[in-house]
Amino acid sequence: MGFEIDYLAIAPELILVATIVMVLVLDFVLPRRAKYFTAIASVLGVTFAALPLLILAVDGGSREMFDGSYTVDTFALVLKGLFIVAGYLVLLMSVSYIEGDRYYQGEYYFLILCSILGSLVMASSRDLIVLFIGLELTTAPLFMLAGWRKGDMKSNEASLKYYILGVLSTALMLFGMSLVFGLTGEVSFDGIREGIGDAAAGDASTALGLAVLLIIVGFGFKVSAVPFHFWAPDTYEGAPTPVTAYLSVNSKAAGFVGMLILMYLALPGASNYWAPALWIMAAASMTIGNLAALRQQNIVRLLAYSSIAQAGFMLVPFAAAAVSGTDLSEAFSATVVYLVIYSIMNLGAFAVVIAGARKTGTGDIDGWAGLGSYDARLGVLAAVFFFSLAGIPPLAGWFAKFVMFRSVMIAGGVSTVALAVIAAVNSVIAFYYYARVVKSIWLDGAPATALGDRADTPAGSLRLALIIAGVLTVLVGIYPTLASVFGDASRVLAAG
Amino acid sequence: MDGVDILIVVGRVLAVFVLLLVTTIFNVWLERKTIADMQNRVGPDRAGPFGLLQTVADGLKLFFKEQINPSKVEYGMFVLAPFLAVIPALLLFMVVPFGRPFTIGGREVLLQGADLNVGVLFILAMSSLAVYAVVLAGWSSGSKYPLLGAVRATAQAISYEAAIGLSIVSVVMFSSTRAGGTLSLAGIVESQAGTYLGFLPRWNLFPQVVAFVIFFLAIIAETNRAPFDLVEAEQELVGGFHTEYSGMRFAMYQLAEYMNIFSMSAICATLFLGGWNGPTFDGQIPAWVSAVLPTVWLLIKTYAVIFAFFWIRATMPRLRYDQLMQIGWKRLIPAALVWLILSTVAISVRQFGLPWSA
Amino acid sequence: MNLGDWISQPVNWVFTLLALASAYSGVRVVTSQNVIRAALFLVGALASSAGLFLLLSAEFVALTLVLVYIGAVIVLFLFGIMITRAPLGRDVALDHKRRAPAAITSIILFAVLSWASIRAFAGREVTGVGDATDTRLLGEALLGRFVVPFEVVSFLLLAALIGGITLARKDLSPAEEEAREAT
Repeated sequence: MGFEIDYLAIAPELILVATIVMVLVLDFVLPRRAKYFTAIASVLGVTFAALPLLILAVDGGSREMFDGSYTVDTFALVLKGLFIVAGYLVLLMSVSYIEGDRYYQGEYYFLILCSILGSLVMASSRDLIVLFIGLELTTAPLFMLAGWRKGDMKSNEASLKYYILGVLSTALMLFGMSLVFGLTGEVSFDGIREGIGDAAAGDASTALGLAVLLIIVGFGFKVSAVPFHFWAPDTYEGAPTPVTAYLSVNSKAAGFVGMLILMYLALPGASNYWAPALWIMAAASMTIGNLAALRQQNIVRLLAYSSIAQAGFMLVPFAAAAVSGTDLSEAFSATVVYLVIYSIMNLGAFAVVIAGARKTGTGDIDGWAGLGSYDARLGVLAAVFFFSLAGIPPLAGWFAKFVMFRSVMIAGGVSTVALAVIAAVNSVIAFYYYARVVKSIWLDGAPATALGDRADTPAGSLRLALIIAGVLTVLVGIYPTLASVFGDASRVLAAG
Repeated sequence: MDGVDILIVVGRVLAVFVLLLVTTIFNVWLERKTIADMQNRVGPDRAGPFGLLQTVADGLKLFFKEQINPSKVEYGMFVLAPFLAVIPALLLFMVVPFGRPFTIGGREVLLQGADLNVGVLFILAMSSLAVYAVVLAGWSSGSKYPLLGAVRATAQAISYEAAIGLSIVSVVMFSSTRAGGTLSLAGIVESQAGTYLGFLPRWNLFPQVVAFVIFFLAIIAETNRAPFDLVEAEQELVGGFHTEYSGMRFAMYQLAEYMNIFSMSAICATLFLGGWNGPTFDGQIPAWVSAVLPTVWLLIKTYAVIFAFFWIRATMPRLRYDQLMQIGWKRLIPAALVWLILSTVAISVRQFGLPWSA
Repeated sequence: MNLGDWISQPVNWVFTLLALASAYSGVRVVTSQNVIRAALFLVGALASSAGLFLLLSAEFVALTLVLVYIGAVIVLFLFGIMITRAPLGRDVALDHKRRAPAAITSIILFAVLSWASIRAFAGREVTGVGDATDTRLLGEALLGRFVVPFEVVSFLLLAALIGGITLARKDLSPAEEEAREAT
């Protein structure tokens, strides 16, 4: 018996696999001074991996393989596109950063590519096993990348904390999944969805509730939602900055995608368990993330807490719709739109942090005072990304917030409105600390120690990353339909 | 399953034990005699005819000797470790078919301790368990030299297990083209029945010669025999992991070592040299002779391998530790991998044709 | 099924024995005061799990468990412990001041998990146990229906391997690096 393999459908993964192998071989044969070729190979490989996505998107339709456990439909394509673009930007940000210090270059790109491969696999997964393995391949290389600055105690701390909590969360999630499998006897999402009805009714309901909670806890760690966020600030601060960017975008998006497709496709029958849990996680993440962000002096820690808060915002539509019992498709598309926009602007913000930290020689917000006066271009970009994160029109962030609130309004209901109010208050709080960074850059005077005349322009690749992220942020803000295309694509999944 | 069946099973297991113990006693003597011959000495010749009872005498002496418990040992583990050495060694031979199945009173009797579906895996599992005896002996002795010996042994066992596993995989894949895919040793033996071109026995040795060489080298290392006997390198480590052992506990380690040699050689003969396959002259000679002949063939093949063990011990100097690791990781494992890929390609081309000929 | 029937089946005795062994070793892994003893109890726990798999006539899984975990992973643990330090007797560093909260948490977790599992699975009998699964079917499933996770896992392991080595290896100075490349 054999399964027909649709090679076009898995072409992005195959290209990435070929790139991974090539990077390893290149790293092996190249002399030390030529190691940057591994970076070029990785960037090219990721670019090529995006091409089949376009073909598939034009071709349309849904391709299922292996009894439907691996599905390439429009929804999967959107997410694969997101993961590839985000990975591409992170690679661009890494080039000068990794080359500048004495890091292991080949292995670094190898691990990043493996992680991207994992997220691509996960986007197509319609089966617990594929989902789990994909998620693990996304996060496991990051345990090591977080500790890539071997001489730095903070980096070691980052790696260790992330590793221990990551493993714990994986264990919990796996236990939950095994309970789900035990209750339904199925690993495919379709099978679970059909089998869950019986389980939810009888004596098994306790086990089902427990399973769902354990899975939520596991994913909660991966997306760093409160109360499972403790690792995030320390890990973000200690890890090399491009890795932090990757953590806060790709790995978080992968966690979100995994959680949502699992809840939506496999466990809708258990929504009375996961909806309240998501509601609480959303409210707590927004509030605690934002309040903690107010007090941060270090810009990376600020972004860490900001990403916790943003995770809360992303949870809002789904939690609201599930709690009020309305159709989840609107919430699904809102979350995907938010995820796409957040990824772009957050990567932009991290690119600014990398460039700015080089320029000012510090990660303290106060140390960035007057950056705008001696590097106007970087200052403008910083303002763009931070205001976008705060949700100021006409930058992309406003549209993300808009679709979020719109989907909440569609859902309606008391608890939903309460969540909307919490979100609104938090948006205001968030504006304060994002604006504080911009204020420091533009309105405060440069300290006497500022190295304003340092002729250190960002490397070409980093500049490219900044330009791409900046252009996309502004463009999506002005023509929001660009992003809502993604939302519509994910509605296809909801309909089918 | 009635009483007779159970009796047969018990009989089979007993037969395995007796075979192992008797051959072990014999093998110790054989090794001493062989090496003595090669070194122009006489070797044991006092106890019994040709000194055959020398091992029995040594065993009795060790049995009555005091078992010393040094003051710093972890007592429980220290006592347990020798048993951990003997048990996997006994179990290892369980899955080796040592004769042609025969029918008696309407019942088929397998000449094998147990015909596991996953016999090959069982071999690998048991040989990997043997490491524990060494590790625990080294640690529980509470003494430097045993610990060092144990650490060496662990590294060595892990390294060479990989090579053993990889070389077995290519054999299993190869015999699957004949017997329809099996991990049972009986199945692998059956797949080697018959001849190539009418005169060359259809042993796996010929098509899988590289795997055979790798497997043979690796089992020498796995049983800690010269030239891979760094575990007990006297010049460096006194006695190695069993420095602190005396009396019967010490004897158990020796027993386990020789049982392992015999079992591993028998497995080697089974996997590569056709096992009990051989001419049985059915109908031309008395039936009971035909029934016994396969066992004799297996013993002959096994002793050929064992003789190679002794021969190598008598002629090769001991390797340095880094050489040992180099050979394991940088020669044997890559060679086994390359061979595995080559034979996979060859097998699939034979089975499915060339990729473009579809 | 009443108690008498249950007791009269030898397989239940074996199961009880294995389950108790597994639970006991599991507890001792955590409470043991000596790293090596803890590792050995882990062997016990894994061995009894392998026994449970054998009871379910999953020979292949059982032996793989023995081969991979007992034969390789724990041996590597022991190896690692022995080349760093090989403590005999009690090891104070293994103890923890917050034993009580940890114990309470685990007991509560155990209670909740067992309560939920018992409620959900109490009435179900284990079915489909009989002849050992053909290893061939296992192989066909792994390389057919589950080929994507099967292949992806190899990348996961490769990534862990390479990343781990990179983090653990000694960094060479630039001069040493040059010298090495020159040879």
